[in-house]
Amino acid sequence: MIFFPLVCLFVGAVLGLLIREPIRTEAGTYLAVACLAGLDTICGGIRAGLEGKFHNDVFITGFVSNVLIAMFLAWLGDRIGTNIFLVCALIFGTRIFNNLSLIRRFALTRWQDFLVRRREQQSAVANPNPNLP
Amino acid sequence: MNPFVSRITGQSPIVPLSIMAFVLGFMISVAWITNDARAQRIRSVDPDQAVRIGSGDLNFQDEYKKLKDEVLRLRVENTALQNAMAKETGEAKVLNESLQSAKVFAGLTEVEGPGIVITLNDGKDRIDAPLVDMIVHDTDVLKVVNELWNAGAEAVSVNGNRVVTGTNFRCVGSVILVDSVKIATPVVVQAIGAKGTLIGAMKLPGGIVSELQSVDARMAQIAVVEKMQLPAYGGATELRNLRPVEAKS
Repeated sequence: MIFFPLVCLFVGAVLGLLIREPIRTEAGTYLAVACLAGLDTICGGIRAGLEGKFHNDVFITGFVSNVLIAMFLAWLGDRIGTNIFLVCALIFGTRIFNNLSLIRRFALTRWQDFLVRRREQQSAVANPNPNLP
Repeated sequence: MNPFVSRITGQSPIVPLSIMAFVLGFMISVAWITNDARAQRIRSVDPDQAVRIGSGDLNFQDEYKKLKDEVLRLRVENTALQNAMAKETGEAKVLNESLQSAKVFAGLTEVEGPGIVITLNDGKDRIDAPLVDMIVHDTDVLKVVNELWNAGAEAVSVNGNRVVTGTNFRCVGSVILVDSVKIATPVVVQAIGAKGTLIGAMKLPGGIVSELQSVDARMAQIAVVEKMQLPAYGGATELRNLRPVEAKS
């Protein structure tokens, strides 16, 4: 169940490879920023899911709007001669790192909880009544 | 509603995550820079770099050399046939003589004679001189050839490529193109002409040779040759727009 999004990622990638339509120079840059935005939103979604704060509406609108805003900003930057592309890459890169580190902490905490719980269970099995000497 | 208040919900993230992961995978694979895409993106980089990037896979050089050899062989045959035809009558002989001297002048025949050889080499890397001065550039070759013509050279070749009207030198990344043939250092410039004049002119203080030697003595070396052969020009001679003006009698 956890791996279902990963499978979907690969299916999407394969579909993209099947199209084999070379994209134009500028659109390629914008799409790269959009990819970063999408990656950031997905990391954020995983994190929210781990925190138990996941909302369908927030996630889906966040994904679409982040992608579109990133592309728009990169495009605008090219039009007005400022490299907003770099700004987008920097911001999204930072956020991806943040989200990933939080995800890692959640995973570690869960793993340690699991270990502690198992040790308690084992000691409970070995010593059914700890109150008695 | 305060958006920063925790809104803990029990919604499962799997399905929307999967949908968006699908979209993201699609976007990444489309944005992935393949060779085709790179070829298209080359247009947006500097022309100099673009040629350097693009020249990796395209190797016309061997093909060009083969065709050039073919042209040279055919030109020798052509000269032999012209001479054979001209043996018949006196008028044809006169015509042929003027034709052959025109061909020699245009650089379409192999020629020999005394002259000088200038070898240009990249200098050894030093701290006290900028790296850009250490490298033999297309402009250096161009200047050397120009000074040789100026000194009265009658035929010039660069690394075995005859310099004729329209010969160009161009820097392409790490190599120099002489009429679309790639050459690299050492660049050997051979010039046929009056040895003394040539050598005197090339050793002129402030000239290109002394300029190169001031950076590193090995960057430009001059040698006198009693007799050497220069190859014929092997490139195309087709004229598309040029027509001689008919003389009014």
